[in-house]
Amino acid sequence: MTTLSSSPKMPSLGTIGSHLSDGSPESRDSEASSVRAKQKGLSWSRLRPRAVRYFAILVVLGAWQATGSFIAPVFLSTPTRAIAAFYALMADGTIERAVAASLFILAAGIVCAGFSGIAVGTIMGRTQMLERALDPLVSFGNATPSIALLPLMVIWFGQGKLASVVFIFIIGFWQMVVNTLAGMRVVRIGFRDVGVSFGMTKWEQTFRIYLPATQPFIFAGARIALAQCIVGMILSEQEFGQSGLGDIVNTYGMYFETNKLIAAIGATCMLALALFGSLRVLQRRKFSWIQATSANRRGAR
Amino acid sequence: MTNSIDATAGMDTLSGSSGSSKMFDQPVLSIRGINKTFTGQERDVVALSAVSLDVNKGEFISLVGPSGCGKTTLLRIIDGLDLADSGTIDLEGKRLSGISQDMAYVFQDINLLPWRSVRGNVEIGLEARGVEKSERQRISREFLEMVGLKDVMEVPPYTLSGGMQQRVGVARALAVKPKVLLMDEPFGQLDNFTREALQAEVATLWSQLGITIVFVTHDVDEAIFLSDRIVVMHRNPGQIVETLEVHLSRPRTQADFRAEPETIELRSKITEMLRSQEGGL
Repeated sequence: MTTLSSSPKMPSLGTIGSHLSDGSPESRDSEASSVRAKQKGLSWSRLRPRAVRYFAILVVLGAWQATGSFIAPVFLSTPTRAIAAFYALMADGTIERAVAASLFILAAGIVCAGFSGIAVGTIMGRTQMLERALDPLVSFGNATPSIALLPLMVIWFGQGKLASVVFIFIIGFWQMVVNTLAGMRVVRIGFRDVGVSFGMTKWEQTFRIYLPATQPFIFAGARIALAQCIVGMILSEQEFGQSGLGDIVNTYGMYFETNKLIAAIGATCMLALALFGSLRVLQRRKFSWIQATSANRRGAR
Repeated sequence: MTNSIDATAGMDTLSGSSGSSKMFDQPVLSIRGINKTFTGQERDVVALSAVSLDVNKGEFISLVGPSGCGKTTLLRIIDGLDLADSGTIDLEGKRLSGISQDMAYVFQDINLLPWRSVRGNVEIGLEARGVEKSERQRISREFLEMVGLKDVMEVPPYTLSGGMQQRVGVARALAVKPKVLLMDEPFGQLDNFTREALQAEVATLWSQLGITIVFVTHDVDEAIFLSDRIVVMHRNPGQIVETLEVHLSRPRTQADFRAEPETIELRSKITEMLRSQEGGL
């Protein structure tokens, strides 16, 4: 729909006529209705993704409930039975204890991995000689499938929490080193120039320019490390844990308690989601520049 | 090539630096025989060849030339961001090696740190100089007020327009109270109106603060509007072709200076010099 703002200078009557017809009541009406249609479309398109999402979940749960009703309960539970088992396990504190135990070794391992991984990555990124010296080692460590190390952990630290924590630490450590180093390597020349030009010492440049500029890489590394460390947590608990989510998953599996098994898997899943969510919230709240400048790099100067 | 006789126009705001007596003054910045070659994989590029230049105290001097003439390289070498292959730079008689605390740089890419607030960006040079927190806050407020941004001190810099961002860049550089301010095509990425506004602001700040400014640009009118002297550079190899004085009276206004006979003459002279280089690629 064109506007009539060009009407003052009209070259011919014919043009005037066409402009008049443009402004006729019918065309105004159709304009208004098209706006209305657009608004309607907007609100629907805003609602739709959510509706589709919930609908998909319901379909899956429904299908599961339907199939589960025809299959022997030992092979496949149903959502209703699993939820009932979940509440029962919550009521007697099993899940709480398992989550607490798992969270303890995970937090211990991943916090150590985070600090030391960032520290080593930073030192490597800022000291060329150390980068050259340690680079092969980091490639080697990062390439080694961590699962292969689990028996070694048992030999070194025995079957207990310490072995789990060290195992989780090793998994997270390499990932944090690799990502921090990658971030250090691509710090914008312009940011480096600011540090140099304003006379910062090398130490100040590291903490005020390089480390903050590497935050997007560190967060990306933390997400990957978290996912891998959760796997490591479950795995080590299944292998030799006396407590934790991996332990109860293993136990219920061994005793064919399928309902409780599904409930325990669900608890593990919820724990992982909560941790990923916390990481996302932390980034959004405290490091909002990452999102803001990656979405609009031109404005990021 | 080097013109060590300085401009006499536009210096009336500064005491003790007018007239012929300046010939005996020591230049604030003395650049001698700078050579710089970038070694590339396919060929070496001589960015600067035997460049010498004196900059006088309180002077506004512009380096003008086509892209690739080494004007930015020269500015980076003056600041210490790049190293020359040979040659010397003296600041107030003292030989420089590396970064000098008495100079500050305004970047073409602005380079505000997005993880710091506007105020945090302005304070970065003060932190490096060990200025105490309360003093830092006072100074950052003072300079942000000076560039008209005291209302957005706490916001992240990427929420500002390009012109406002470069104002922060200028405030950040001025906050360390440099003797020489180096500006590398600071307004190259801004739209015309914003650029003109910022040019006028920089001219005002320069005369108020009495600092020396070395300004790199490829915009001839910008150079004429701002400068006491214009250094025209040549590329392949990067050399100074000629140094021209601008005698237009100050304060200059954007509306009037373009039509001045001197502006027209300077503009055609400089443009001709730059154009004659086109063939010499």
